[in-house]
Amino acid sequence: MSYMLNPGAQSDSNVEVHKYYSGTVMLTAFLALVLQAFLHKYGRWAELIDLPLLVTVYFGVSRRNPVTGMFLGATVGILQDALSHDNPIGLFGIAKTIVGYLASTIGARIDTQHPVARLALIFLFFHFHQFVFAIMQRVLLNHPEPFFTLRLLVNSVVTAVFGVALFALLDRLRRA
Amino acid sequence: MIDTPFRHRPVFLLAAVVLAQVMLLAFQIKRDHDVRLIRYWAAFLVMPFERGGTDAVNGTGGIWSNYIGLRGARAENARLRAEIDRLRLENRDLAAQAGEAQRLSIILKFNDAHTEAPMLAAQVIGASADPASHTLFLNRGDRDRVRRNMAVITADGIVGKIVEVLPATSEVLLINDKDSGAGALLADTRTHGVIKGSGDPDARLDYVVNDETVHTGEMILTSGEDRIFPKDLLIGTVASASPGNPFQNIHVRPAAHLDRLEDVLILLTPQELKKQDSADAAGASPGSPGIVQNETELAANAARAAASAAKATTSAPAPPAAQPAATAPKN
Repeated sequence: MSYMLNPGAQSDSNVEVHKYYSGTVMLTAFLALVLQAFLHKYGRWAELIDLPLLVTVYFGVSRRNPVTGMFLGATVGILQDALSHDNPIGLFGIAKTIVGYLASTIGARIDTQHPVARLALIFLFFHFHQFVFAIMQRVLLNHPEPFFTLRLLVNSVVTAVFGVALFALLDRLRRA
Repeated sequence: MIDTPFRHRPVFLLAAVVLAQVMLLAFQIKRDHDVRLIRYWAAFLVMPFERGGTDAVNGTGGIWSNYIGLRGARAENARLRAEIDRLRLENRDLAAQAGEAQRLSIILKFNDAHTEAPMLAAQVIGASADPASHTLFLNRGDRDRVRRNMAVITADGIVGKIVEVLPATSEVLLINDKDSGAGALLADTRTHGVIKGSGDPDARLDYVVNDETVHTGEMILTSGEDRIFPKDLLIGTVASASPGNPFQNIHVRPAAHLDRLEDVLILLTPQELKKQDSADAAGASPGSPGIVQNETELAANAARAAASAAKATTSAPAPPAAQPAATAPKN
């Protein structure tokens, strides 16, 4: 029954739920947003990596709670929208809300500690995020946002590689 | 069955959150309204950190670039100092070349103005090791047809005579050397004398009687009697004159700059230089007094001397020796 009521907490006996010090998640997410906006000023290379997405995915798969993952994704996405002047608020919000939810759900079912698994997970979530984002653009804004381009592929690979390193770094923030 | 709503609660929540955002989007698109409040608070939260980060990066970047810049500046400073030193040397060389060109130009003009007298340009390559001896060494010698007792002059005035000839060099005895002597005359009165060296920078004019009126600044020319220097070449000017025993003590300031000679002319024959008009003579040696004095000037000078002598006769008896020189200038 408890499993049904709180599927993210102990969804699987062999998958560990990681805890973090209070404020760590929000602080890290906030820092990711600040860095994303900050680095963007220093060249287009910063566009290769989607830090807010990485943070959303990481804490989603680590905490394994779809509700908190979803709200984290929504918060990060909405703030990202708010900080990007071109987007109406909600585009990144919706995409990251879904990503946060799915990351928590998947993290509750499979082990995501292995770097290769993390690499594949980030790669897939990147393209899923782009897919949702493009759907929103096309349906709601009538903007021909592409689902897939070579640049998006490069971005996804770079983000995935960087994400593996970042995830290893973020693992250190776990409460023992 | 009762568990179903609880089992799907996260999905419902997801749908609700997504729906809320879709509605927010629809609101923004439909009404063309921006949700400024959210943007404002997002910026309010993030921007202080952005500013801090930017300041930190700029500060760090500034320190770094300044450090690199200073290192570059130091190297550039050293390079520029070396460049300045090189340019100074080059400038000195160019100034020396310009000076030499000017001197040579004067000599060339003088030479061109006197084609009747063969001349040979020579460079001063050395001087006597004895401070009391006023001699110079030239870069012309026997191979260049230089012989003893040839006159050495400049556009300014006479310098001296050749006293020793070697195959490639020759030695010049300057007119202010104590062993030197040359026939001279006072330009105004045409009074003859002998210019001799005293060992000092100035020479002296000997054998001018006390009765002769000699003015300070009066020009002294060669008389041609020594058969070395052609007639009417400028020797110098009277620096001072005072009565002596038995002749006047007349100090002569040589017209040629004997202490800083670099280029001279050797007269290959003692032939007289052609007399020219004042303008031509001045043109022959710009910036210096003409060496050759024309007959008109000499006549005028003689007339002035005669008038002076007549005036002196009315006030005091004129010395008989001065009369011929004042009234009858020699050619």
